[in-house]
Amino acid sequence: MNAAIDNHWYPVAMISGIDAPRETLLLGKKISLGRDGGACWVKDATGTELPTVERFGHLWTSPGQPNRDLFTIPEADSPGRRLVDVGSVKVKCSPLRAVENFLDIAHFPFVHTDILGAEPHTEVDRYDVKIREEVDEVWATKVKFYQPQAAKSAAGGITTEYMYRVPAPTCSVLYKTCPPRPGEWDIITLFVQPLTDEWCEVWPWMALYDDDSTMSEMVSFQQLIFMQDRSILENQLPRKLPLDPGMEVPTQADMTSVAYRRWLKKIGYTYGAQLVAA
Amino acid sequence: MDWIAVGLKEDVPPGFVIPSRIADTELAVWCSPSGTYHAWSDRCPHRGMRLSHGFVRGETLACIYHGWQYNEAGSCHYIPAHPKLTPPDTICVPTYRCIEAGGVIWVSLTETDTPLPALGGRRTVRSLPVSMSAPDLAAHFGAAGFTTIAVVSDHDVLLAVQPCTDGECMIHALAAPDADRSAVSHWLEDLRATLERVPA
Ligand code: FES
Ligand SMILES: [Fe+2]
Repeated sequence: MNAAIDNHWYPVAMISGIDAPRETLLLGKKISLGRDGGACWVKDATGTELPTVERFGHLWTSPGQPNRDLFTIPEADSPGRRLVDVGSVKVKCSPLRAVENFLDIAHFPFVHTDILGAEPHTEVDRYDVKIREEVDEVWATKVKFYQPQAAKSAAGGITTEYMYRVPAPTCSVLYKTCPPRPGEWDIITLFVQPLTDEWCEVWPWMALYDDDSTMSEMVSFQQLIFMQDRSILENQLPRKLPLDPGMEVPTQADMTSVAYRRWLKKIGYTYGAQLVAA
Repeated sequence: MDWIAVGLKEDVPPGFVIPSRIADTELAVWCSPSGTYHAWSDRCPHRGMRLSHGFVRGETLACIYHGWQYNEAGSCHYIPAHPKLTPPDTICVPTYRCIEAGGVIWVSLTETDTPLPALGGRRTVRSLPVSMSAPDLAAHFGAAGFTTIAVVSDHDVLLAVQPCTDGECMIHALAAPDADRSAVSHWLEDLRATLERVPA
């Protein structure tokens, strides 16, 4: 038992994908989940029921006693958005590496070439990063980047503005310029289920303004992006995320990742982390 | 420490990078467009990405994750996210001694005065993974070390042995220039079968 790790909500399934009961792993321990009529349930290895929340198209649970509710994304409720369950991707890396990669824009020209970025547009301008103490979340704002094809709905290259939010240690929400509706934000999330400290299941979910693309076009666009990210994530050494400075070399473009690591350390979230002292 | 064969020249043409290893030391082995070979630690100092997944651009090796470029000394000289920045000298990749000779890429993990192994004019034939540790392989042939093992058989063969993970090694085989390469290749497969005690 480690309250700093157990007392969080974790995504464990896409609700639309739950049919027969099944087993999965959460923080290295076996759990089972299923649905009785309308309501979903989750049990630990001893058969004890764990708390559940159904939100953002996903089923969430906690092996501990969460001291706060699962975060909300009020903007996602506004009418006209299409809610997209992207499915899941299993990745052999620390859940924290998966979140950190999601917070990173400097890799776009090299990993998502000609989609989310392209040379020579590689420069990352200074942006604002903050740990918002009142909500205990990490936020990066005024992040701008030139993108050849920012979304399925984008007609050509645009400079996209991003905001990143880390509302829980293994979750991140991205607010992103919406090509068909200037002034609104598209919402793309990354919900990460820590299977073990070096293996995770990533559940992306989106709330987009896009009246033209089909559901399967939006899903395949996002899946392509995650496949590209996976080829990176499974080849970083070490697999765990180093929380102490020294092992890796950040630059100004990595301010979000630096704040994320600092915040994890501050709240004592060490699952999937590598500490020098260990 | 001796020179160790980490690959064949023909497997790493100019402009290419491959992963290799010497026991637990993982390597990115690359060849610059001008034909110089390099063996570096297979880890980018920025965010730990394997450099063997990177790409050669000019006389530099670039990391595939954020495109950081490392010059031939292993120092980072360009960070695409900050094109105007001159990176500090402290950002560098550990590099090892690396020389191509006789069609084999040789690496020494430590500074060394040991001359490169004599190959007697033999040419490379092929590489072959074997489930046996490098010291056990040397012992099998009664050889003092495994850098190169001369084997007298139907063929005049020299084996350059690369220690990999526990109980595994890679044999890089050389034979006389006029040897029948396909016969040598078959002989090697038979040798592997014998070493691994698997019926051929
Ligand atoms: S990890 Fe190599 S450039 Fe970022
Ligand atoms: Fe990415």
